[in-house]
Amino acid sequence: MTRDRIARTSLYLVLVAGLLVVVGPFLWMLLSSFKTEAEIRSVPPTWWPSTWSPANYRDLFDRLDFPQYFANSAIVAVLVTAGNLLFCSLLGYALAKLDFPGRKALFLVVLGMLMVPGMVTFVPQFVLVSNMGLANSYAGLVLPFLAGPFGVFLMRQFLLAIPDDLIEAARVDGAGEWRIFWRVVLPLCKPALATLGILTFLSSWNNFLWPLVVATTDDKYTLPVALALYAIGQNRIYYGLLLAGAVVVVLPVLIVFLALQRHFMRGIATTGLK
Amino acid sequence: MRKKWLAVATCAALAASVTAGCGRDDSGGGDTAEAVEEGKATGEITVWAMGTEGEKLSEFAKAFTTENPDAKVTVTAVPWDSAQQKISSAIAAKATPDVSMIGTTMQGEFAKTGALDPTPTDLFRKDSFFPGAWDTTVVDDTSYGIPWYVETRGLFYRTDLAEKAGFPDGPKTWDELTAFAQAMKDKAGAKWGINLQPGKTGSWQTILPFGWSNGAAIEADGKWTFDTPQMTEALTYYQSFFKDKLSPDDLPQGALEPAFAKGEIASFISGPWHVGILNEQGAKGKFAVAPLPAKQSSTSFIGGSNLAVFKDAKNRDAAWKFLAWLSKPDVQVKWYQAVSDLPAVQSAWDDPALASDPNLKVFGTALESAKAPPSFPTWTQLAATFDVEAEKVCVGGADPAAALKAVQSQAESIGTGS
Repeated sequence: MTRDRIARTSLYLVLVAGLLVVVGPFLWMLLSSFKTEAEIRSVPPTWWPSTWSPANYRDLFDRLDFPQYFANSAIVAVLVTAGNLLFCSLLGYALAKLDFPGRKALFLVVLGMLMVPGMVTFVPQFVLVSNMGLANSYAGLVLPFLAGPFGVFLMRQFLLAIPDDLIEAARVDGAGEWRIFWRVVLPLCKPALATLGILTFLSSWNNFLWPLVVATTDDKYTLPVALALYAIGQNRIYYGLLLAGAVVVVLPVLIVFLALQRHFMRGIATTGLK
Repeated sequence: MRKKWLAVATCAALAASVTAGCGRDDSGGGDTAEAVEEGKATGEITVWAMGTEGEKLSEFAKAFTTENPDAKVTVTAVPWDSAQQKISSAIAAKATPDVSMIGTTMQGEFAKTGALDPTPTDLFRKDSFFPGAWDTTVVDDTSYGIPWYVETRGLFYRTDLAEKAGFPDGPKTWDELTAFAQAMKDKAGAKWGINLQPGKTGSWQTILPFGWSNGAAIEADGKWTFDTPQMTEALTYYQSFFKDKLSPDDLPQGALEPAFAKGEIASFISGPWHVGILNEQGAKGKFAVAPLPAKQSSTSFIGGSNLAVFKDAKNRDAAWKFLAWLSKPDVQVKWYQAVSDLPAVQSAWDDPALASDPNLKVFGTALESAKAPPSFPTWTQLAATFDVEAEKVCVGGADPAAALKAVQSQAESIGTGS
């Protein structure tokens, strides 16, 4: 009994320590976004604001065309996420469960693409998009990210675990290929889809360089770009504005994560991937 | 880290497209400028500008469109953080605007891609600008753009502490600077006599002026010369502040200003933007700016931004006319009043708005002789090497001569890029 309790207490101690390390910076960001510029810079740093001031937030909403940037970010992130869920699960399913000539080769191509760092293809990709006349358009912001090798790989690995018998049974019952995919396979993939959804949403929401380069007028900027524009100067950083902006940028991600958290955890556990 | 890789990849891609001849018709250098047609500017002029400049230029340019009713200025604000990537990607894709603001240290790299239009000599007079600023636009003897605004470095010090330390007007020479920092500590009770940047990104902007003031040059006859005796002496002198514990070598970012306001740090070297920050931090009226202490001379660093027109500009003539308007002395003064950017045009400094401020006067005088590193395309790469070696000297106590040898051998293997 007592040994049990000691084990339990020490477990909680470790968990609380871990929690502090993980949540601490986030909490500091949240609290500091209400401090004055001078207090943020003070050494040693303070936790609790000596005076609560909404000035940073007022500044943020006054100076940035916030609804526009927020809408841009949301449109891009939602379209990119939807595209990834659809295309990656389609290809992942084909690679895992359908037999066709060149399947192995195609899978190797996908794997190969995983190895190529994004920085290498960045400039050629931009030249391509620009030559197609898509610079400064939503299409230019969304199209290159509609499907990615990582998503395909993730979906394929997850789909491998679905028993063939199930698909065979559906086929015997007379279901068409599309119907099998839509009605039998996809509903079983919820955990993987949730994982892929969160990861894609997150990376699209946080994406900085691509929107920066593709958008040539500021009405197409996304939130991270707009934030960098106003908060980081040539010779100084406006910490208050940056922290307030970071809080606002993080909120939607937090909501998406909390909504999908249960599936997300299962997705990671079952695919063994992150 | 990621960004650094991207920058390297972008440069590599650019270089490849230039050498392969598929990117540009000519690779810069030896260009001749075409004349700009007479008359008023017409049509849309697209401009990229960074930070505050990008935020405020659109409104400011309305005075230009009042004078030129058929012209329209469209400004896109670009974050400073990644301006370099944005511009180099645009050059690679031939998707440039008409005009872009270009940081002085990026000038060589962009001019070398052949994407910039040579400055038309009929519109701009070289000697109306600060010589150091004009030099940053010149690559291979051709100027590609004009200086827009400038900044330079001075010694910020606490006047009350300096009084106690026996240097009411600040130190004038290198010897005095050491004595000054020591006295700030011993007599005036400051924890640190001075704060010098201990290596790390951008420290060359503080260290090179010490070299220049000692008669050193980092470039001679188109070759890098980092390991001269003069530069070694300057770096040794710079190192002495860390060895004698007069300057901290591990100050966290953002900690300088509050410590200065509290009197813990008695002085530091920085640029004009610090006047505003210090006033916000509650040090208003307690500090002054002195010229950089002299050895053979007092030679500061000149930075700021240039404006350049791209060869692919859709509205070239109007673009240059817009730049000509921006470099009129009275417009430069108004721009200073709007965003506190220091004018690059010398005669603008005669205006009472600038001439009456004692701190500005120090910067104004420094600008007349201030220098910038040569605008070789490889400079940004080498600056990073210099900063790393400087950190070893300041923090790690490495031998200055050996550090400069390391920079020099790196410089020789990278070359000047021209």
